[in-house]
Amino acid sequence: MSNIWLVSQRELASFFYSPIAYVVLGAWSLIMGVFFSGAFTNYALISMQIMRNPRAAEQLNLTPTSAILGPVFSSTTIVLLFVTPLLTMRLFSEEKKQGTMELLLTYPLRDGEMLIGKFLSALLMYALMLVLTLIYPVILSAFVEVEWPVIASGYLGMFLMGSAFLSIGLFASSLTSNQIVSAMVAFMVLLVSFILDFLSASVGETLGAVLRHLSMGIHLRNFIQGIIDTRDVIYLVNVNILCLFLAMRSLEYYKWRG
Amino acid sequence: MIRVEGLTKFYGTVPGIQDISFNVSKGEILGFLGPNGAGKSTTMRILTGYMPATSGKVTVADHDVSRSPLEVQKLLGYLPENNPLYPEMTVRDYLDYVASLKGVRRADRKGAIDRVVDDCGLEQVAARVIGHLSKGYRQRVGLAQALVNDPPVLILDEPTSGLDPAQIIEIRNLIRGLKGSRTIILSTHILPEVNLVCDRVVIIHHGRLAAEGALDTLASDVQKDEIVRVSAIGSADSVRSRLSAVEGVQSVNAQEDGPGGEVRFDVHAERGREIRPALAAAVSDAGAQLTELHQARLTLEDLFVKIIGGEHGDGNEGNNE
Repeated sequence: MSNIWLVSQRELASFFYSPIAYVVLGAWSLIMGVFFSGAFTNYALISMQIMRNPRAAEQLNLTPTSAILGPVFSSTTIVLLFVTPLLTMRLFSEEKKQGTMELLLTYPLRDGEMLIGKFLSALLMYALMLVLTLIYPVILSAFVEVEWPVIASGYLGMFLMGSAFLSIGLFASSLTSNQIVSAMVAFMVLLVSFILDFLSASVGETLGAVLRHLSMGIHLRNFIQGIIDTRDVIYLVNVNILCLFLAMRSLEYYKWRG
Repeated sequence: MIRVEGLTKFYGTVPGIQDISFNVSKGEILGFLGPNGAGKSTTMRILTGYMPATSGKVTVADHDVSRSPLEVQKLLGYLPENNPLYPEMTVRDYLDYVASLKGVRRADRKGAIDRVVDDCGLEQVAARVIGHLSKGYRQRVGLAQALVNDPPVLILDEPTSGLDPAQIIEIRNLIRGLKGSRTIILSTHILPEVNLVCDRVVIIHHGRLAAEGALDTLASDVQKDEIVRVSAIGSADSVRSRLSAVEGVQSVNAQEDGPGGEVRFDVHAERGREIRPALAAAVSDAGAQLTELHQARLTLEDLFVKIIGGEHGDGNEGNNE
């Protein structure tokens, strides 16, 4: 257990030794700020139009929480497609390239401890990123009444999905010693898993349903609306576990091959 | 302390090492010799539990490496060939990280780090970032991380490769300073290093054990006769005839002439016979001036060529247990 934390600590420190942490956090804050202010202005415009047409208001049933933070969360998933591979690309690739993997594997440390430690460091970075965005609901609460349970559900969804993304990135990183390849593989896998939803329209009904369920993006929708569906939770957690398992196998293969 | 039995590793279908067996007893320094690509690093990597063997067995202090790698790894200090380090960390942070991973208790950690910093001469750079250090210092950091848990077993893969002569001497002295308390396996391809540091050597070639034993024994087994190199300024013919007349001399082979009219000969004599004073006298009898006279020692190259050339067969089974 303490070994996991040791590995995480070093990885976290590494994020901040390298420019990655600053670039990611900076870009993330900027983009989230743009999204939020966009959604906020948009909501202001819509509500102004609705005031002239009360009947439309009843049909739309817009609450500030779902109308502002909903779009922000959905757009964020697109950003995550780019950002999470940046967080995970170096975790194994860099150690392989530098050769420090060889030393790490000869310390009295279980493979699983190393793997979870590395994953945890990326997850903590991601959690920090999410925490930074909490400022937007807080700002919102200054102007309107905010439904905090819905926001909590949204954040839970974001956390679970980000965690699944990171596990995919970690697996990609365990496959190669090249950070760029690692990031590209992770990005491609994430992108494909995301657009499965679009593909489902053009194939048969059964296959379409399967593709829709496999698609990543679709599993966030309920969370954003404040619905915690066990199907979504199980899907995201399973993806997470599967990828960590695959990364573990890949690590064993790496050792076996020498 | 370390027991290696029938160790074999295949990379796909390519054999890395085949059927390597040897023992290292406690407190011994074993030199691991072989040309590049012979399988030295492969063997060491299996010993450290980094890589599993295809077949064969390694036990360190009665722990099987493949069954209980963690137990073995707690006893080990390992310095890989290319000395990988985290360039972004400071020396002290790095040593602290390694010490924690190796299970050095928090209370003992500072003392352990201070000790290796001192032993490895890192006082001046302890607060600096590893990436900014010179190669010599990095090598010492590598050694320090291997030593930080005070391990009873040290595995050092070419610890002096790529260093300048002064640094080589420093590192070598450092390793010699560790002698006695620890069991050490040291791979190298520099013969003087082996002479100075190791009690015994294992020579591998093409992934197979070529010879094992004390270096002197190996050398004398291979070297059938005594060779004395004689250089003198004077007439080649008369020097040669005088040298040949010395008692015990078997043959005199002329070598390439040196500058300034120097003539050189290799004089072969029976093994164990001291003929140097007689040779010196013979040279002056010939009216020549002696410029050089020394007993030629077998170099690692000679030893390799002879052992690997098949003259020595499978090597003597020198078991120092």
